[in-house]
Amino acid sequence: MKTRRAPRRKPNPLLDVDSIDYKDTNLLRKFVSDRGKIRSRRVTGVTVQQQRKIARAIKNAREMALLPYASRPSA
Amino acid sequence: MRRYEVMVILDPSLDERTVAPSLDQFLTVVRNDGGTVEKVDVWGRRRLAYDIDKKSEGIYAVIDLSAEPATVKELDRQMNLNEGILRTKVLRPDVH
Repeated sequence: MKTRRAPRRKPNPLLDVDSIDYKDTNLLRKFVSDRGKIRSRRVTGVTVQQQRKIARAIKNAREMALLPYASRPSA
Repeated sequence: MRRYEVMVILDPSLDERTVAPSLDQFLTVVRNDGGTVEKVDVWGRRRLAYDIDKKSEGIYAVIDLSAEPATVKELDRQMNLNEGILRTKVLRPDVH
């Protein structure tokens, strides 16, 4: 029987960041797709707690028009 | 007394130089009620990620202050009544 290899853990990209601010759009942009959707934790490789803070910050940033809401690429 | 961070988006047709004084006028509420204004940071004109009230730009400003919850609520209410202000957000940086 073939054994499935455990997927390699991604290095956590936020090791050196201690607070997630909704005003820091450059940081938050790394966690949204080009359509503006929030990237899943499987993709981002951050901890549960960090992912929650990131999601919160992105939503706050969207309310203040700092980041776009998810959308189709405009024609 | 609690620490608050208030972000404001102002109408882009305003003159950027008048922004700081007009914000200061709003902040008199805070000062009169015994609060303190720590910092007013006007970012200036910035492109909005999507249109608000058919406007594609806005003047951003971030205000750090300490005040009672009721005072900030009143400040937010007064700002939202003003037509030169497109949007506001009040956050407590200590919990967020």
